[in-house]
Amino acid sequence: MAQEVVVSGRVTSSDDGSSLPGVSVQVKGLSRGGTTDAQGNYKVSVPANGRLVFSYIGYKSQEFPVGNRTTLNVVLQADATNLGEVVVTALGIERDTRSLSYATQQVNGDRISQRGEPNVLNALQGKVSGVQITGASGEAGASTNINIRGIQSFTGNNQPLFVVDGIPISNSVDRTNLGPNGTLGGPQSSNRALDIAPENIESLNVLKGPAAAALYGSRAASGVIVITTKSGKNAKKKTEITVNSGLTFQNVYGLPNFQNGFGQGLNNIFQSNSVASWGPAYGSPATLENGFFTRNATTPTQLDSTALFPGGALPAYKAYSNYRAYPDNIKNFFNQGRILSNSVNIGGASGSSNYNFSVANTAQDGIVRNSKFNRTNVSFGGNTVLSNTFHVGASINYSNTDQSNSLTGNGGSAFGQLVSVPRSYDLPNLPFQDVNGRSVFAGTPGSNENPIWGLENNRTTSNVDRLIGNINIGVDLVKGVNLFYRAGIDTYTDRRKQIFAPSAARLLVGGVGEDIYYWQELNSDLILTGQKNDILPGLNIEGRLGFNVNQRKSQNVTANGQSLTLPNFYNLSNATVFSNNTGESNTLRRLAGYYGQASFSFRNYAFLELTGRFDKSSTLPLSNNTYFYPAVSANVILSDIFPIKSSTLSYLKVRGSAATVGKDADPYQLQSVYVTTSRGNNVSNIAFPINGQNAFSISNRIGPGDNLKPEFTTSYEGGLNLGLFDNRFSIDLTYYNSVSTDMIVNVGMAASTGYTTRTTNVGKMTNKGIEALLTVTPIRVKDFRWDVTVNYTRNVNEVVDIAPGVESFSIPGSAFTGSVPSIVKGQPYGVILGNKKPTNPDGQWIINPNTGLWNPEVSNQNISNPNPLWIGSIQNTLKYKGIALGVLFDTQQGGQLVQFSSGSYKSNGTLDVTGVNRQAPRIIPGVFEISNADGTKTYTPNNIQVDAQSYWRAFGLQSDLNVFSATRYSLREATLSYDLPASLISKTPFGGISLSVVGRNLWYFAPGSPIDPEVNTQGAGNIRGLELQSAPNTRNYGVNLRFTF
Amino acid sequence: MKTTYKALIAVSLLTVMASCRESFFDINTTPNNPTVVPASVLLTTVEYDAAFTSTNDLNRINEVLTQHMAGVANQVAAYDVFNLRGASDNQWNGEIYAGMLTNAQRLIEQTQQTTPAYAGMAKILKAYGFSIATDVWGDVPYSEALQGLSVLTPRIDAQQDIYLGSSEKKIQSLFDLVKEGMADLDKPNTGVLPGADDVAYQGNLSRWKRLGNTLMLRLAVQMSRKAPAQAKQIITEILASPAGLINDNALDFQVGFGTDNGKQNALFSFNYVNRTGDLMASQRFLDTLTAYNDPRISRFFTLAANTSRYVGFNNGATTAAPSVVANRSRYGVYLIGTGGEAPTRIITNFNRAFLLAEAVVSLGVAGDAQALYQEGIRASMLKAGVALTDVNDYFTKNPQIVTLSGDTQNRLRQILTQKWIANIGMGIESWNDIRRTGFPKLALPLNAQGDNPAVIPVRLPYTSNEQQRNPNVPNPGPRMDERLWWDID
Repeated sequence: MAQEVVVSGRVTSSDDGSSLPGVSVQVKGLSRGGTTDAQGNYKVSVPANGRLVFSYIGYKSQEFPVGNRTTLNVVLQADATNLGEVVVTALGIERDTRSLSYATQQVNGDRISQRGEPNVLNALQGKVSGVQITGASGEAGASTNINIRGIQSFTGNNQPLFVVDGIPISNSVDRTNLGPNGTLGGPQSSNRALDIAPENIESLNVLKGPAAAALYGSRAASGVIVITTKSGKNAKKKTEITVNSGLTFQNVYGLPNFQNGFGQGLNNIFQSNSVASWGPAYGSPATLENGFFTRNATTPTQLDSTALFPGGALPAYKAYSNYRAYPDNIKNFFNQGRILSNSVNIGGASGSSNYNFSVANTAQDGIVRNSKFNRTNVSFGGNTVLSNTFHVGASINYSNTDQSNSLTGNGGSAFGQLVSVPRSYDLPNLPFQDVNGRSVFAGTPGSNENPIWGLENNRTTSNVDRLIGNINIGVDLVKGVNLFYRAGIDTYTDRRKQIFAPSAARLLVGGVGEDIYYWQELNSDLILTGQKNDILPGLNIEGRLGFNVNQRKSQNVTANGQSLTLPNFYNLSNATVFSNNTGESNTLRRLAGYYGQASFSFRNYAFLELTGRFDKSSTLPLSNNTYFYPAVSANVILSDIFPIKSSTLSYLKVRGSAATVGKDADPYQLQSVYVTTSRGNNVSNIAFPINGQNAFSISNRIGPGDNLKPEFTTSYEGGLNLGLFDNRFSIDLTYYNSVSTDMIVNVGMAASTGYTTRTTNVGKMTNKGIEALLTVTPIRVKDFRWDVTVNYTRNVNEVVDIAPGVESFSIPGSAFTGSVPSIVKGQPYGVILGNKKPTNPDGQWIINPNTGLWNPEVSNQNISNPNPLWIGSIQNTLKYKGIALGVLFDTQQGGQLVQFSSGSYKSNGTLDVTGVNRQAPRIIPGVFEISNADGTKTYTPNNIQVDAQSYWRAFGLQSDLNVFSATRYSLREATLSYDLPASLISKTPFGGISLSVVGRNLWYFAPGSPIDPEVNTQGAGNIRGLELQSAPNTRNYGVNLRFTF
Repeated sequence: MKTTYKALIAVSLLTVMASCRESFFDINTTPNNPTVVPASVLLTTVEYDAAFTSTNDLNRINEVLTQHMAGVANQVAAYDVFNLRGASDNQWNGEIYAGMLTNAQRLIEQTQQTTPAYAGMAKILKAYGFSIATDVWGDVPYSEALQGLSVLTPRIDAQQDIYLGSSEKKIQSLFDLVKEGMADLDKPNTGVLPGADDVAYQGNLSRWKRLGNTLMLRLAVQMSRKAPAQAKQIITEILASPAGLINDNALDFQVGFGTDNGKQNALFSFNYVNRTGDLMASQRFLDTLTAYNDPRISRFFTLAANTSRYVGFNNGATTAAPSVVANRSRYGVYLIGTGGEAPTRIITNFNRAFLLAEAVVSLGVAGDAQALYQEGIRASMLKAGVALTDVNDYFTKNPQIVTLSGDTQNRLRQILTQKWIANIGMGIESWNDIRRTGFPKLALPLNAQGDNPAVIPVRLPYTSNEQQRNPNVPNPGPRMDERLWWDID
């Protein structure tokens, strides 16, 4: 027995000499050791002839003989950034990135928390390559769309699977569509990943391709977001308390510039009821001709002095004196938003146990009145090793999310009306309601309502109670063989209420709806893992067999009452008519997966992984409900195999993978069904029962019976990782090519068949793309470090084929008939088919020879492509001692957005360009088409002058003239943080104090768009590229304080 | 320890085995919708479909094209100046083929063997539905339509073949379809017979036969200028049929509505609930009614609230309409009732009289044109709610209006002008009549655009949805100034 020596010392970083807390200090060959404390100090007991191994993520491990030393100070050398890092992959398996043959990208919790962004997806924007993230709008709690490597399925869910601590959770967007416009006019519902508190996230890993995600089965075809919550595992002492507080202010930005020379009216005539701004120039003397005086209707020889000013009966002269510019009438419609965020996290680790408890609250007052968001999270989790060597763990996370929002969308919503506010209308100061609480505004009831009245009255509230929990137990059966079981649940109930106050433009008679969503997902994984090293010299093998059972159950109960009897009483008992979508919808689906994986590693420089999975799904025909899909991936670290390592080349890895993922159908797609009859749309409709008589009709969709197969996405991926100059320059480059086939689609069919859609396997769609992640450390000296991270994403999607005889069909969901997001053969997914101004073969506009305006639009033309050419970002991080400055720029190049707002602002004469040379006639550059007797056509230039009003109104609401480039540059995020030096706080109970200021969306430049093009009114889902009139984005400024003790 | 391991493994394996059972996956039957429904709820659907289709957007198009009404704002204003492209997908898809017709077809298939009374009704309504399709678009899917997955791209049949049938192309004529339906009404039934679900006739089969005959009369007159001999023969047969015609206002085939939101007729739903500011009376129609001293004006239209006058809008005008909708003349009590409950009058006694009057004048069918003409005016006035004494008074005071005079053309002009007046709210009927006969002669709207601003459209463009999905439908299709088969001048 050797003599024991107590060794102590301090571990510091070679980078800047700072102390490194949490470094593992192990006695080689013995299962004992310790970690460094917050100041980097350690103390361990070692046999005199022992050796100490110091290891820490991001640094090279080092080994020292103890000898007779009692003090051993160690300087750890920083290792390649991002290389050699441990990441959490499928099923929660932790892997060294060295061994990975496919692209994943991990983001640590500190890069997404404290950002003043309640939605974790927004905070992720610009930080991961291969991923496109677009928020719906700046409204509190609005959903955010995320697509990884493009769109893989025609009509299936293309959002990635979200997995929290090994449990798949729902990120669905439950839409409330009780008004006559359906979801086109609904509120901006959240995507349910919003229920996760960013402060509670330890790390977030994006599994991009099917190879990475194969073990998750069917639902991983669109990638996986693996979220690991804080577990206390990395706590530096037994009990560590972290308190986060943040206050963020939000201001709208991205509003267009308006003209301030002309007010309410039409044809240069003041009209008190007009919603347009084609009235006379400000300062024009009041005359009969310009509408400030009118003739008395009964005695037309006399002037009438009772012309009304909107908002009350005021004499004409009053109207005239109020007829002036209110330059900020739109801007002042908005408030300053405020987000207050607080969290307390208590975590700790001791021996083989760790635990974590956290409470977090985020309270947001949005940028318009009655826009609110409030989320509270309480979570507890822990892991321990029992005396019988069983590893057990459990975690539970409860959240309550409260959201209140107004309606959005073209027409009768607050934002749909905002575009109809005349420039001379003093919106914020005029009364918005009458004594009966009904809307007071210009325009016509049923088409118009006061936007402020809309915010005040037509609210939708949502209250979500959610529980995500899991228990797990594992045991080493024999050495190297582990059996692991995990069961998890994700369940929520969302209780919603939607109100249309009487006089609402969408529903004059008023209405109140209750909409309850229930979701429950149960997931069970049984995994047997075996590992054996040196099967042959240098060859290690790890095998895994798994069995997964997943059940998802949903219920949506809706009661939609209309025609309210009493004012201001929003209870279903006040409704006299219950409309057609009153009822319930239930789904239940089950899936069992059997999978296996074999991973080989040779001398830690060559890796091969084989995966296969059988799925059996309840949603496919019973006779044919099982399907198999394989994956293979391999990589070699050339810099370790060949003697090519030098001071220049520090790391070179090449990798490749091929994988297929199968996807089942939605429940209940096999049969044709009958539905309660309803006909018509928002302009005119009937719904049964009528006069006590109920009626059913065959659904427009015809079911496939037993003729349905799973759909498949096959993906090939190749890439390399290159590290130069001691890994101060590293690049992670990936090329992929994926093909989706046999997609399960409700494909459009000619209505003359008696049905408009059929469920079938059709089509072929490809995604090809490049992802690059470049990390550079230009400067790394003592105390100062500058890191640059560049992300680049390019995805090219093509709808190769749909179905025989089908050239295009619309993406399911609500759309206006003139701007239909579509799947068109030969085009990228989601192009918008709409109305295009006609042109001759030379591309010149064809002008109507009678009017001098455009000829009628040609419908169903490809007018807009929402897919960007590429997106990219540059993150700069500068650190000097405790001060860190992070600046994130990002850009989207290409892609287009259909902008209803621009169309409305033009036709209403409010946009700045409509005020330029308002009084001057103009000639549309175009030609007249003359048909000759011989069938040929000749074209002569248009020479008809039109006035400004006719010109701008002819642009229309839905036409190719309102499609704009979505190219955009932005300063997405800037953070400045300061960690108080240890020397200052060592005498206090605090373990660390840090202060940060964060700015989000500080600046943008969109050269081709009159409004900020980064909006997507329909929110998360397959419909993209439509701005249908919703809240603009926000610029956020926040301060955050974090202290630990 | 070992026992624990074993227990754990055993439990795991049991889970595996349990989940392998097929019943675990046999949960894919929807709890949300019925997969089988009784015939009764389908019949109600088809009857309301007939009403909704003939009063919804196709009607709005035709109400402005025939200048009953004028479009003030939004889509109907575009329709008024012939901008009709891209408009009618919802009608072709949701109302006609995948609405009324597909449900009629399901009803026929479901009841032909058991309760042919239902099948007979469904066939008559199916013929009415196809008549709307062909009269609006011309050549349309017919003989191969409504077969679901069996025929994914139905061919289009020539309008001539739809009206007259073709044994060579295996196309049943609309007349034969109606006759087959009428024959079904006489067959024995084993199932439950229609009753309250037959909202128009409460299961009265003899009325359905009258409907069948009257529908055939309408079809025969519609093709009478192109195929006068066949038309005359069919009309003569109908007049000899013991089943009779709809010859009393009480026999009208009409469907009633309610006063609650979503239960009102389409005219009310559009004009008084959802798009109150878009459509108002055409000044041209008002001027006619005024010139004719017609007492129906107060039943057809509202008075402007501020002036107590009838205030119309000139078709196609770009001037402002009264901004307060109450100060406009809009659909009146005849068309909307007190709150949207007014029935949609699909096949009526007054139209039967006008159709016969036209057949007598233009085809030489036996009958008294003058008597039929007056019968039509009288039936329409009474239907509109004009008191009998006022009707009689009108006839006494306006002999030049209620008496046919002059040559054949003038007599037709008189008949069709009165029919145009009577068919307010049923623009499809008036558009058919005007295209067939040229009466009444309508001036172009102001600021006309469309395919040909010089011609009031004589057909609607094929809908883009059908064009995209069915390669048999020509794309680009015929222009809106190209005449249908039965429209000879």
